[in-house]
Amino acid sequence: MKNEITLQTRREFLRTTILGSALTWTVPAFLANTFAALHADAADSATQIATGKDATILVVLQMAGGNDGLNTVVPYANDFYHKARPKIGLHADKILKLNDDLGLHGALTGFKNLYDSGNLAVVQGVGYPNPNRSHFRSTEIWQTASDSDKIEKYGWLGRYFDSACSGADPTVGVTIGNQLPEAFFAKKPIGVCFNNPQNYRFVSGAHPKPGETDLTEESYKKMNELNELENSSPLPDDNSGGSIGSLAAGMPMQGGKAVDFITRTALDAQMSSDEVRKIAARVKNQAVYPNSQLGGSLKLVAKLIGGGLPTRIYYVSQGGYDTHTNQINSQQRLFQDLGDSTKSFVDDLKAQGNMQRVLVMTFSEFGRRVSENANGGTDHGAAAPIFIVGNKVKAGLLGKYPSLAPQDLFEGDIKYNVDFRNVYAGVLENWLKTKSAPILGKQFEPLQMV
Amino acid sequence: MKLFLDASVLNDMLKPLSKDRWKFETAAHLLNRAGFGGPPAQIQTLAGLDHDHAISFLIDYEKIPDPTLNPDWAKPDPDRMKQVREMNQHGTPEGKKQFQRAQQQILQREMIELRGWWLQRMARGPRPFQEKMVLFWHGHFATSVDKVRDAYYMWRQNELFRRLATGNWQGLLLEAGKDPAMLIWLDQAQSRQQHPNENYARENMELFALGEGHYTEKDVTEGARALTGWSLDRITQKYIYRPRIHDDGEKTFLGRTGNLDGDDVIAQIVAQPQAAKFITAKIWNFFSGQRPDEKLNDALAAVLRANGNNFKPFLRVMFRSEEFYTNDIVRNEVKSPVQWLVGSVRMLECDLPPTIVSWGMLRQLGQDLFAPPNVKGWDGGLTWITTNTLLTRYNDAETLVAGTLPELTPADFARKPGGAGGEKAMKVLERVRMGGVNLEKILSPDERDNKDTLVAALQHRLLQTTLKGDQENALQEFLDSKEKLTDADIRTTIRLIMSTPEYQVA
Repeated sequence: MKNEITLQTRREFLRTTILGSALTWTVPAFLANTFAALHADAADSATQIATGKDATILVVLQMAGGNDGLNTVVPYANDFYHKARPKIGLHADKILKLNDDLGLHGALTGFKNLYDSGNLAVVQGVGYPNPNRSHFRSTEIWQTASDSDKIEKYGWLGRYFDSACSGADPTVGVTIGNQLPEAFFAKKPIGVCFNNPQNYRFVSGAHPKPGETDLTEESYKKMNELNELENSSPLPDDNSGGSIGSLAAGMPMQGGKAVDFITRTALDAQMSSDEVRKIAARVKNQAVYPNSQLGGSLKLVAKLIGGGLPTRIYYVSQGGYDTHTNQINSQQRLFQDLGDSTKSFVDDLKAQGNMQRVLVMTFSEFGRRVSENANGGTDHGAAAPIFIVGNKVKAGLLGKYPSLAPQDLFEGDIKYNVDFRNVYAGVLENWLKTKSAPILGKQFEPLQMV
Repeated sequence: MKLFLDASVLNDMLKPLSKDRWKFETAAHLLNRAGFGGPPAQIQTLAGLDHDHAISFLIDYEKIPDPTLNPDWAKPDPDRMKQVREMNQHGTPEGKKQFQRAQQQILQREMIELRGWWLQRMARGPRPFQEKMVLFWHGHFATSVDKVRDAYYMWRQNELFRRLATGNWQGLLLEAGKDPAMLIWLDQAQSRQQHPNENYARENMELFALGEGHYTEKDVTEGARALTGWSLDRITQKYIYRPRIHDDGEKTFLGRTGNLDGDDVIAQIVAQPQAAKFITAKIWNFFSGQRPDEKLNDALAAVLRANGNNFKPFLRVMFRSEEFYTNDIVRNEVKSPVQWLVGSVRMLECDLPPTIVSWGMLRQLGQDLFAPPNVKGWDGGLTWITTNTLLTRYNDAETLVAGTLPELTPADFARKPGGAGGEKAMKVLERVRMGGVNLEKILSPDERDNKDTLVAALQHRLLQTTLKGDQENALQEFLDSKEKLTDADIRTTIRLIMSTPEYQVA
């Protein structure tokens, strides 16, 4: 049963790929027969979807570790702030003023630049009810868009793929890195991961002469094909069984064969690797990026967008925000990188002429406590700002800055003003143009950010 | 020792596998899971014993001498610790910086040595099951050198897992909690009566012993109060109880009231029926690759409790049970990166690549030993597989079989993702020479000569089953394109079998 469901999924994929022309690259020769076999019964149900070649694109930027929002968008004129942070509080001379109350951290020059050019929106005080202060639990809540007392199997972007991109090709979601983020977990695994496009390939080890076929590579492809495809009978889409989603808690699948999942992944890898490498080699960046992991990731994303990969969602991350000690130095370094990398990315896309199609959204699993600790750092807290970057954003400050008055705090933390799912709903409805309720489980009022 | 409970308590579950099902395939399954797999001859030997003896051969490893020597730095070093303290208190900023840089280099060197030391034990050591249990406990009490910053502590914790690998649940929880690496990892060493640190109190219940939902927030704060006093002597590098920082007021923890201390906390946790349920589910999951259903979990927990919370008899029951050999379990678990690497080395009877290469591979594949991603450990299962890691496995197969270097970059060795510090490792890598597989050792002259027997022998060795028809045809086509089989062709054939979805499971 499971096996047939797998093939049904793959069948949908192939259908869109060949007949919906969502995919423009040459299909590997070994799949040609398979395509021919499928052509007949798929012709009547071909679907066309919007792809990242011409439609809008979302880039999610995770600031992992829990970024201290108060020293990011700084209430530099607030007495409560300075009282709570005698050592690490930032004064007017250390910030980039946005108005008489607030300023960006001094190292966020890249963001200030984007703010001034009308490309940056700051959503203030984003969080959720009953905040959890565990890194992984809170990350899970953000990634799955669940209530804080509920466990969701699938990621919010995975549910977007499932509900809005059925039959899409595997590169509809791309993670720059090694691990698929939980946000991508889906009933039907879609989305590929890589970090270095040059290594994102099968290295055959054989050295065929020019013009000769590489038999090792040919054999590898055949051995990773879905062999029984022709013999499978179509089944209605069944949601049960061993998708990656049921693995969310690190526990394995219930029923289903691991080999089926790996076979699907192998085909996704094979289908995407040539194209990804080709684009990475062909497209030239038109901006200079910081020499950092984030800079490298965004540089690659810009290439892939420029090269017309059909991806709608890109996922990049920057780690190091868990600043329990010596926060001043860490944030200085991280923010310089964050702002500069993002600014380069925007410049690059503007030069390409693609910026009007791209939106960048940051998030971090939580903000940090209002009071600094004894080690020049801050401990796990609650709400924090989100940054949204794009050509069409409602630039400026959105939402309301949370009150720092001691009587307004809850267990030493600021209270959120905007539920992060309002932001997600805004991204889904206003940017990706899809209904948000089926994806988020209920209707959240979409935040108007574009 | 009482191994079995009444059938009624067990609900007719966990009955021994019937004799006629004990054969090559089931023996291979046992060796894969209760070890890291092995060559056909070894599987054959196990299959030739009766089932109980085969299990005993693996899990009663105490009789087998293990001559492994400890790294020479694996001992307390009070002189160095005094130096550290002196530097922290009185060093100049410049002096501190230099000192830290030197310490960092020592740490890097020792950690590479430690990783190699452990991987060798897994790949070549005489007690694979013991090492498999150490790997389980390492993932369970997931402690990272990134915070502990001391190779001796990491080694010591690893040795503790080895010593108590199949020991008593309460004893293990207690010792793991008082071990220096854990005292640092979850901040217990810094907890004071005035400001109890809740990190260990919480994670111990949430991730090590009970699971979320089986304790209250009040249990966390009360438990943290009781645990104060557990501390670390940073000069002798040993656990120390400090009565002066202990809160000796009355606490109520998991229903028990009194002037409780840390030992009471552990005892009270293990007294919960949930403690046996939690750990047996996790062990079953690790070895079988599936989450036990409620009924099976109850039976497993009943066995552990009936045996005084001792793991050895529990494991014996588990490995002999029918449930462990069903179709949804055999050859249906994604190999972890460590299982993939160590298992390949054992099946191919070749050397483990030099540590710098093995370490680089494991990091790329997502399982950096001694540095789990967080206190929850590795998620495992299907999450080991992404398009990226799958292609990397396929390419690492070439590294192992042909002895070519994998494509590693400085970033693969950086201390933190995106950080610097990988250049040195790359320099080491340049000097590395590797062997690859010795074909004469694993294939007879006939098998090396005859294409059909070659394919059959390799499937038998690498999969203990056969590929799908079309895959085998593709392999035959490849071989048929060669007039005479060279060693390089045979190596490619091995690599191609390892570059299939089928090879990624065991």
